[in-house]
Amino acid sequence: MSSIMRESHIMKIHYLTALVAVGFVIIHIMIRFTHGSFANSLEFESVIANYKSIPYAVVLEAMLILISVHGFNGLRIILLELKQGNAYERAVTYGCLAAMIALIAYGSRTIIMATMGMVEA
Amino acid sequence: MDKDRKEGIRGMANPGRYGIERVAYWLMRITGLGLLFYFIGHIYETSSLLDGKAAWNSMLELTQTTEGHIFLTLVIGMCVFHTGNGIRVMIAQSGFGLGKPRRPDYPYTPSSLNMKNKLCIYVTIGLAALAMMYGLGVMYDV
Repeated sequence: MSSIMRESHIMKIHYLTALVAVGFVIIHIMIRFTHGSFANSLEFESVIANYKSIPYAVVLEAMLILISVHGFNGLRIILLELKQGNAYERAVTYGCLAAMIALIAYGSRTIIMATMGMVEA
Repeated sequence: MDKDRKEGIRGMANPGRYGIERVAYWLMRITGLGLLFYFIGHIYETSSLLDGKAAWNSMLELTQTTEGHIFLTLVIGMCVFHTGNGIRVMIAQSGFGLGKPRRPDYPYTPSSLNMKNKLCIYVTIGLAALAMMYGLGVMYDV
């Protein structure tokens, strides 16, 4: 990412994704209270009902993207603090970017399929 | 000076030398990595939903155990500390609460590492502990 974007811009994205994600995580946790007890909120029917709500599915997708961007950029920053060098930095940057894209794709698959009701009986 | 340099990453990592700020520095990184691993696990865990109720229930049997609840409690603590300390770092990097610049006199205490920041770190640790207790209460329906 460092060769793609200025490091100062990346830090702004890092902070912005964190702040917005905090708001979404609060919504994600508050939704639990609509199902009564902790055990009830984890029941298959309750979880599926959450995914069927389009606004909530959008919140989940946004959270997935925001936390993935923030998390893998954080990992990149930690790895770049430990060691430097052109090849290493490039490998870390593109490795984190690839992992981020893979996680977003895998998580999006779950959200889209659950929202569309493509769940095995 | 030479001795300092020879310490390398070990010297940089020493949490005992620079007080609570260095402890916060390490906790920030450790909690960040912990939360990233939890997040990846959470995405994988929820994907079992697509395989039907039986798969979801067998996944819950793995996670809804005493060990699973202890792990979730740690995740709550990590999340609250990472958020609170992250907001402190953002505010400090925006230039607030760092104190006024002054001539460096012995014992060269940096004005940026002041009581306000230290207090924020202690409060964040306290909030994380409270959130962990609340989380345990919710998970065990106390």
